[in-house]
Amino acid sequence: MFDIIRQNLVRFILLLLLQVLLVSNLNLSPYISPNIFPLFILLLPFATPRWLLMLIGFFAGLLLDIFLGTTGMNAAATLLVAYLRPFLINLITPRGNEFDQSPNIFSQGLTWFLIYVSITVFVHHSFYLLVESGTFYNLLQLLIRVVFSTAMSMIFMFIGLYLFSVRKKRKA
Amino acid sequence: MYNIIRFIIRYHLLLLFIILESVSFYLIGQNSRFHRAAYLNTANAINGNVFKVYNDATGYLFLGKVNDSLANENAKLRAMLMQSKFDGRLDTLVDTDTLGGKLMQRFTYIPSKVIRNSIDNANNIIYINRGSNQGISNQMGVINMNGIVGQVVDVTENYAAVMSVLNKDFKVSAKLKKNNYFGNLRWDGNNASNATMDEMPKHVPVKKGDTLVTSGFSTLFPEGIIVGYVKEVKSEVDKPFLVVRITLSTNFRNLNYVYVVNNLQRKEILTLDSTTTKATK
Repeated sequence: MFDIIRQNLVRFILLLLLQVLLVSNLNLSPYISPNIFPLFILLLPFATPRWLLMLIGFFAGLLLDIFLGTTGMNAAATLLVAYLRPFLINLITPRGNEFDQSPNIFSQGLTWFLIYVSITVFVHHSFYLLVESGTFYNLLQLLIRVVFSTAMSMIFMFIGLYLFSVRKKRKA
Repeated sequence: MYNIIRFIIRYHLLLLFIILESVSFYLIGQNSRFHRAAYLNTANAINGNVFKVYNDATGYLFLGKVNDSLANENAKLRAMLMQSKFDGRLDTLVDTDTLGGKLMQRFTYIPSKVIRNSIDNANNIIYINRGSNQGISNQMGVINMNGIVGQVVDVTENYAAVMSVLNKDFKVSAKLKKNNYFGNLRWDGNNASNATMDEMPKHVPVKKGDTLVTSGFSTLFPEGIIVGYVKEVKSEVDKPFLVVRITLSTNFRNLNYVYVVNNLQRKEILTLDSTTTKATK
């Protein structure tokens, strides 16, 4: 139990620093604003109670907001991801398959994980970028931003996931 | 009562979601003014230190570039000195005023460093490391060596928030350098190096490559600071004005040092403005 908390706490701090100091500063293009932070919510253990999941999502997002100076926007988006996560897991997991630990590329398989991450990140980015632009005025431009940002975020996420998973294996 | 409790228990997750989501939107709705101030005040304790360490570390990586830009800047300033002018009084000094044959200082500049910058958002804000203690107040213009940067919108003791030109709310009055026709410049939200000029009548001769400078009509900027260059001119049949696309001269991707413009006569102009408005009503 303590191990799981510590592991998630380290992951949280790492993702926060990466997002604030690196990813948000890349300034790749106005159409690409990647956000790797939702990964923290995605990788929490399956058994996390839903109310706790939402509280974690909200406050984690709020902390990111404080660092990025965007009060409320990340909190709203991360909370949405935390709220939808259990529904999504139920939806894409075949019946009879019960997972007992945290989501992981190696135990759930790449296909499951890819679907899981892509749907959540797409929802997160759509919501976040919509709230950020604050208008429905230029939907096509918004959609382009969402698609490119989602793609870029996922590339970053999977690079990170593979790097860290390999290190864990070596340790064991 | 029992029913209410049962309802709450049944839908507690959805309720929690709605409550927290409302809190988020309340925070977002607290207007940018609030969250800039909150960001500057409360977050600075933790966050200022993190960014300071980060900036100290990355600062070293760009020392060469910064030196170059400082050298350029110095050269420019030297060129502005009276000793390097033939007859400065008549045509060259844009930031001083002649009054009774005596030169009066009109603008002073406060150098400061950008501690946080963004170009990817719909409304970009820049944070700089000078505040009210260093003489910065709201509604001051911000420039750098290449052109205009933005306008101060919030100030705390040692930091200030600057609304970048790359912000949907930013507008500045600019004119063509060659013939003084003026219009409003605004960011079109697509690209960190492009902007659009409004209200340019169709008869104005505008060509690709023309230089745009600040008009000096607002109290923000001195007259004649370069804003950008005309990139493309379109004339549409159904519109009374030209569509002028502009390449901004400031590179927002690598902002480092900026200058806050302190207009010493700002109060005077604003007072005049308000009394005139009253008188004509």
